[in-house]
Amino acid sequence: MNWRWPESTSLEEVLKVHWIGASIPRLDGWPKVRGEARYPTDLVLEEMLHAKTVRSPHPHAKILSVDTSEADGMPGVAAVLTASDIPGQNRYGALVQDAPVLAEDVVRYIGEPVALVAAVCEEAAVEAAEAVNVEYQPLRPVTSIEEALSPGAPRLHSTGNVARHTVISRGSPHSAIETSDVVVETMYRTQSQKHMFLEPEGGVAWIDEDGTINVVAGGQNPYRDKLQISRVLGLPMEKIRVVSYPAGGAFGGKDDITVQIHLALLAWKTGKPVRLVWSREESGVVGYHRHPYRMEMKTGATRDGRLTANLAKIYSDTGAYQSFGPAILDVSIEMINGPYRIPNYEIDAYLVYTDNGVASAFRGFGAPQANFAIESQLNMIAEKLGMDKLEIRAMNVLGPREPGSFGVAVETEPSIQRILERARGRLSRVGTPSRGWSRRGIGVALAMKGVGFGAIPDYPAAAIEIDPDRERVVAYFTNPDYGQGVITSCAQIVAEALQLHVDKVEVVNADTALSPDTGSSSASKSTYAAGNALLLAARNAVRRLALEAARILGVPASEVGYDAGFFSAPGSRGRVSIFDAAAEMASRGSRPRFEAAFEIPRRPEPVEGTLEVPHLVFSHALAIAEVDVDLLLAKAEAKDVHLIADVGRLINPVGARAQMEGGAIQGVGYALMEEQAYSDARTENINFTTYIVPTIADVPDVSVEFVEGEEKTGPYGAKGAGEVPFVPIAAAVADAIADATGVRPTELPMNGERLSRLLASAGLLPKRLSRLLEGA
Amino acid sequence: MSQQTFHIRVNVNGRWYEADVEPRMLLIDFLRDVLGFTGPHIGCDTGHCGACTVILDGRNVKSCMVLAVQVDGARILTVEGLEQDGQLHPLQEAFWENHALQCGYCTPGMLMSAYFLLKRNPDPTEDDIRKAIEGNLCRCTGYVNIVKAIKSAARKMSTRKQ
Repeated sequence: MNWRWPESTSLEEVLKVHWIGASIPRLDGWPKVRGEARYPTDLVLEEMLHAKTVRSPHPHAKILSVDTSEADGMPGVAAVLTASDIPGQNRYGALVQDAPVLAEDVVRYIGEPVALVAAVCEEAAVEAAEAVNVEYQPLRPVTSIEEALSPGAPRLHSTGNVARHTVISRGSPHSAIETSDVVVETMYRTQSQKHMFLEPEGGVAWIDEDGTINVVAGGQNPYRDKLQISRVLGLPMEKIRVVSYPAGGAFGGKDDITVQIHLALLAWKTGKPVRLVWSREESGVVGYHRHPYRMEMKTGATRDGRLTANLAKIYSDTGAYQSFGPAILDVSIEMINGPYRIPNYEIDAYLVYTDNGVASAFRGFGAPQANFAIESQLNMIAEKLGMDKLEIRAMNVLGPREPGSFGVAVETEPSIQRILERARGRLSRVGTPSRGWSRRGIGVALAMKGVGFGAIPDYPAAAIEIDPDRERVVAYFTNPDYGQGVITSCAQIVAEALQLHVDKVEVVNADTALSPDTGSSSASKSTYAAGNALLLAARNAVRRLALEAARILGVPASEVGYDAGFFSAPGSRGRVSIFDAAAEMASRGSRPRFEAAFEIPRRPEPVEGTLEVPHLVFSHALAIAEVDVDLLLAKAEAKDVHLIADVGRLINPVGARAQMEGGAIQGVGYALMEEQAYSDARTENINFTTYIVPTIADVPDVSVEFVEGEEKTGPYGAKGAGEVPFVPIAAAVADAIADATGVRPTELPMNGERLSRLLASAGLLPKRLSRLLEGA
Repeated sequence: MSQQTFHIRVNVNGRWYEADVEPRMLLIDFLRDVLGFTGPHIGCDTGHCGACTVILDGRNVKSCMVLAVQVDGARILTVEGLEQDGQLHPLQEAFWENHALQCGYCTPGMLMSAYFLLKRNPDPTEDDIRKAIEGNLCRCTGYVNIVKAIKSAARKMSTRKQ
């Protein structure tokens, strides 16, 4: 890799502080600023076919017939595939394989794939797709959580409309609520949010001379994608290669299958290279989105502010299929009591099928919804009791080794109290005073986010190769860098472990042909997982190459030590570089490549009724938001967001800060603007014209401070920074609006429409506007 | 699919190209599919995301909003043309050094809007910078480091000139 230092940082300076904690530029930055990085949707292959998906126009319908005869005979058409062409199992899904690759007898959401077309050019593919004749018998759609659960609702799956129901309780929650001095009862609603990564879902596939199917597409877990392809094509795993780097953003929306299986099927059937890229509008209709929630909360406390009980009913709309729905519900269950000591609780959680597209993973993975509810509850209790909002948190937060709601501590090193301490004084800070119709408010929320899959087994593996010819160390791992910076942080970890300059380290990312399975980039764990596996691989490399060095030095291996790239032994002359030791190994026909697997610490069994509760490692963040509310325009504008966070030791502080800033701004979008609206299971705002993501004109000032703890199980003390900055934003913004206006939003997003009703209900709108809203 | 085509001659990054194009072909598709400049990206097709931004006769345009036939005789600069004699443009350097990119998909367009700003206004205020990139979406960074990078590039360019 062509790589050099920025002018401002001398090598000596960097070596003094080691590679851990050095804000080096991103290793992938060079090709990206030069415009030479080839994203999956940039790839063009010789004699490539273009593919198009035939999709259901109905949210719920029976398929009576699929007639492809007209499309088959059209000029330039190479293949038209339907469910009957699938050689293996016609189902996919990250956790449970419940979604048809191509629909058979019934469709359950608008845009569900029914057939695939490949043709010599895009126009021919579009025309052929339009010529596929599908006869539907429309059925009544299920358009909301409430409708799905109502008696007489159409059943979307043979098991009914409840994909999962979990009740977890402790103590005597109902009687504890009755005897509480203060009780806050509120219903919260959160919306469907789209990932809106800049690169839509897409990629290419082709077949090698040896019959291997290659699929290159933006993804988050190439080995799981490969497994899913192999099931559907009925092919052995070794016949499939998946490459998922680079990707133009993901945020969870490329974690489950998007185009990968369709691409593999078309390449397999036609024997030709094929390209399939979803248009922005297609991505808008059929791409994944964040689960909308309804949460009914009843939370009690004593007069002096101690939490007594929490009753939470959680309803999650997973859409037509499960995807990650059950695991996301788990995270919500785990987060709904916050990091607080709550002796009595009952959590009654439902995952519900509707015809509203398919919901799946999105940054925060069920934590943002639960956080919005519990943190708003806490702020309301503080208001009722006239307590300081930081004080009530400090009083109720669990201690570092104190078992929480699910039997484990929420922090491995003390950090939450330190975060609250740092926040002190900031809440009373006076911003711009309120003027005219404008009111300024300040709000706070505290969040945690588990790192990794909790109780689900996860053994990330990685490899290190010492290349003697080029004097480079190559790190291989498969969890993709879709922007979060895992390539750079892992190169720093390898450089630190081998005490070499990071210039000596190269990364091969997200290619199943070249690297062992490191698992997914998700759950804030990419650096934690790959970093730990690479650390073990680096140790294996040093241990094994010490044997070669001993041979060269003519001393027993037990006497050989390693320091800054060289092996030496006391009393023996000279030293052997790690590359010379690798050359010695290679000279006898052994490849100096070293693999290792790390086991992410977990409880042997999950909490009953869940897949992944509890997590053992959490990152924490507190958000303070300042918001202006214009009463005349019913518009809330975030002016300032400050985050205080513990994400473990910072491998690359500028990179970690950038993750926090990006997460905070996505959180502001979630809080104030973004909503994929469904009406009769149909969504209209499907592109950047109608689904508005924050532009630079919408973003507040963002500042970040770290309380840098050291996570004992993390690589050089790191945890994860990807998700936690997103989690507290909505609750903090709602609190600021409540502070500014005296009324508290309980639905997301807090856009003009919702805000005007809220302000009208409190008599805060100008009278004429209130009358208009009431329809008078 | 036989269609009338138009012959165009266009200068991209200092080199002249000639091609016969269909009248409805977009400039972004011409750059990517015909000439192979895949630096400019497609994020939407509706002129909102700005990932396809290029400089056309000195102005930044979203190349999905221009037809290829409209650029006959024009000079176009894409991200691939920013580098001079193997040296990164100060904006490219600044984006790289300041972590002004994460996934990097918006970067080629963002760089061209920043380039257009600094051509007109070598010493922009933060407000000027924010206005200049209002038409370019970034879903990863929250824009913080992008603004920093453009400021830093402006500083660097003015010192180099002196």
